[in-house]
Amino acid sequence: MTALLEMKQVTKEYRGVPAITDVDFRLEKGEIHALLGENGAGKSTLTKMMCGVTQMTRGEILLDGKPVNFLTPAEALDHGVAMVFQETSLVPSMTVAQNLYLGDEKLFNRIRRLNIAAQTFLQSMNFNVNPTATVASLGAAHKQMVEIARAVRKNVRVIIFDEPTAALTPEEKHHFFSLVERLKQRGVSIIFISHALEEALQIGDNITVLRDGALIETAPAKSFDRKRIIKAMVGRSIENSTHGVKRKFSRQGQDRVLSVQNVSMGTIVKNTSFSVYSGQVTGMFGLIGSGRTEVAKIIAGVAKRNFLNGGEIILEDRSVRYRVPRKAMQDGIVYVTEDRKAEGFFETMSISENISLGFQAAGLNKNAVVTRSEMKALAAEWTRSLNIKAIDSDASVIELSGGNQQKVVIAKSLVQKPRIVIFDEPTRGVDVGAIAEIHQLINTLADEGLAVVVISSYLPEIMSISDRILVCRAGRVVEEFDPLEADENQIMFAAVH
Amino acid sequence: MLKMLNQERIVGAIAVVLFIGFSIGLSGFLSGSNILSLIQNVSILGILGIGMAIGIIGRGIDLSMVSTMVISVAWMLVMVNSGVNLWLALGLAVGFAVVVGIVNGLLIAYVEVPAIFATLAMGIVVYGFGKSFLIGQDVVYLPRDESWFYHIGSGQIAGVPNPVVVFALVALVAALFLKFTKFGRYNYAVGDNVATARITGIPVRPVIVAQYVLIAVIAVVAGVVVATAVTSMNTRLALSTQVYDVILVVVLGGIGLSGGKGGVRNVIVGTLLIGILLNGMTIMNLGYTTQNIFKSVILLAAILIDTMLNPRDEQTAQHGDI
Ligand SMILES: Nc1ncnc2c1ncn2[C@@H]1O[C@H](COP(=O)(O)OP(=O)(O)OP(=O)(O)O)[C@@H](O)[C@H]1O
Ligand SMILES: [Mg+2]
Repeated sequence: MTALLEMKQVTKEYRGVPAITDVDFRLEKGEIHALLGENGAGKSTLTKMMCGVTQMTRGEILLDGKPVNFLTPAEALDHGVAMVFQETSLVPSMTVAQNLYLGDEKLFNRIRRLNIAAQTFLQSMNFNVNPTATVASLGAAHKQMVEIARAVRKNVRVIIFDEPTAALTPEEKHHFFSLVERLKQRGVSIIFISHALEEALQIGDNITVLRDGALIETAPAKSFDRKRIIKAMVGRSIENSTHGVKRKFSRQGQDRVLSVQNVSMGTIVKNTSFSVYSGQVTGMFGLIGSGRTEVAKIIAGVAKRNFLNGGEIILEDRSVRYRVPRKAMQDGIVYVTEDRKAEGFFETMSISENISLGFQAAGLNKNAVVTRSEMKALAAEWTRSLNIKAIDSDASVIELSGGNQQKVVIAKSLVQKPRIVIFDEPTRGVDVGAIAEIHQLINTLADEGLAVVVISSYLPEIMSISDRILVCRAGRVVEEFDPLEADENQIMFAAVH
Repeated sequence: MLKMLNQERIVGAIAVVLFIGFSIGLSGFLSGSNILSLIQNVSILGILGIGMAIGIIGRGIDLSMVSTMVISVAWMLVMVNSGVNLWLALGLAVGFAVVVGIVNGLLIAYVEVPAIFATLAMGIVVYGFGKSFLIGQDVVYLPRDESWFYHIGSGQIAGVPNPVVVFALVALVAALFLKFTKFGRYNYAVGDNVATARITGIPVRPVIVAQYVLIAVIAVVAGVVVATAVTSMNTRLALSTQVYDVILVVVLGGIGLSGGKGGVRNVIVGTLLIGILLNGMTIMNLGYTTQNIFKSVILLAAILIDTMLNPRDEQTAQHGDI
């Protein structure tokens, strides 16, 4: 039987360097196919070739047994192949309904009819989104729902999700998976890229593992377990993984370096108070929208000050309120963003330029003049210690895989020699091996006496690396847990109720 | 092989072809006096282009540049003609330009007015202010004086016309500045992504103010070359479309309006092409409108060829995870 979509001996080269080499791939009708691999393994590249975002260098793609080579995403969409990106391609200033029907407008549109049609359609999929809301006002999960709805409305046969769950709360994930199931029942085939292996095991029918651009294996999900996937992904078993490991000790904090007292901002942060100690990892758990990111941004001067209404932030023994991140950085506070594309890196610049800009901004270089060799040396040091992989050292950051971009963002902040580091979702989009490396790094920082804050909505991550756990809900820190005593259910309960 | 062609090289090649074509086809193009005026115009356009490039690389733009150039230098000449010491007058003119730059910068960086509107308004304000309070006549002439200063635009050093020397100096300083100094690197960073620049701790607002101050100072340099080349400063120049020629030079050379890209080399090739083209068309006696048509067709062609040979990186063109 011919597969719905088939790739034969496909190769993709970027500037002569292969990102995908001779990969065979089959997608059957109505299956959920999980695509796994380390950062830079070529998952995104492989799927981008299926949906016309980029073209293969060699090989063959067959849709219904007929060779195709889509030159644009629009062409792929016409053939029923759609891709849902992690960062959405919706028009932010338009409403949900307008976005849904974008490109299909009649000469005259009755807004009301549009809204009603959108409403019925969204309801038919059980999506709880207001069709008259502008997309800009929606959270990540809702944006993604709109994006999915748009693809479904176009009657697609293949939907590719590139790391769809990274920005979702547990509940939203649950919704997402049941949606995927429903799509499957309608006969839609789904390709699903994720770094959360449990998800792949849970919802995938088949799993394909890539490593360094090559196909390692394709097999039914049932035949896999976590260990075997990891082995296929990295080529060996990982020993130092902190995943799901119950901590046996926790660090005692040294000095109270930062204390947040009754800080409020708009309706997002409501009168929150907590402290951070040096030599310790403070984990901040909370669902998306619980105001964690916003508090961090207030502390680090990223949020514009005029939105603040009340409260005090005390650094060591003086009250501070930063106007710009630069001032916070000069006092040793850095914030590593969760949204790397919007505010994490300089996309046209190379790894070394990115890192050295962080270095210069901190005033750490001795000379006013910056030489290329200095930049290179600095970058070499950090690419080694964070194990950043790029096809060549002058590659611009936009050409790196998602996980490696994240490492560049981290390096750019750590090079500033901070005393207090706030990591916001530091391992989003990062593979298992790299997660272990980043966790290792965070532990080292705390051992060196830094005050480290890790914000995460992934509970196993919080459990395995925090020395104390703060739980946020509805704009404030509501409870503190000791990771040695608390269990996951208690923490989740505190975050939700 | 084809990949070796980028906008910069394509434009450079077209400039060479045009130059050869005009030399063969247009009598008078290669004459000494025409080449001299060609060189003067190219240099002036180039100096202004370098200023504009600094702005555009930092994702800004300065439409008040030509007004600043005209008014500050005309004011300087008015002062000199009424007996003020040349250096004092020059100092005041530069001071005036710096103030204009600072106001531009403050409006854009702190009040967050889009650069295009802030500087458009500023250009009108500068011209109006200058004409009402500082300068009486339309054309201000150079004083009769033998100081070397008045030969900046007309003389030559070791056979090289002075405007070219000034252009080369400005280009060299700007290139070193952009490449190696902190400000230069910060300027690219701000142009690439303001939010990232801010979060990285780059002093974004001061960098933006510095941008517009630099542009204004470079405008004065260009103005001095203009005035000393033709022994007068015509304030009506501020009403011309010269500022668009300057932007054309920068964009044509391959500095994207989206910021963060390009450098002095791009300005040089853009300047050569536009300078040669304008000169050739003037000799052919083409009307102003016809000239504009040619200019825009060339711009479109350059952009078209560039996008065909170097398709925009699929990644950047798309939303989504890499
Ligand atoms: N536009 C590009 N130009 C040059 N190299 C690229 C480009 N896009 C991707 N690459 C390279 O191709 C390789 C595969 O990248 P890809 O984005 O497919 O990885 P991935 O498996 O999706 O990783 P991640 O999990 O980190 O997102 C990487 O080494 C990357 O640097
Ligand atoms: Mg990817």
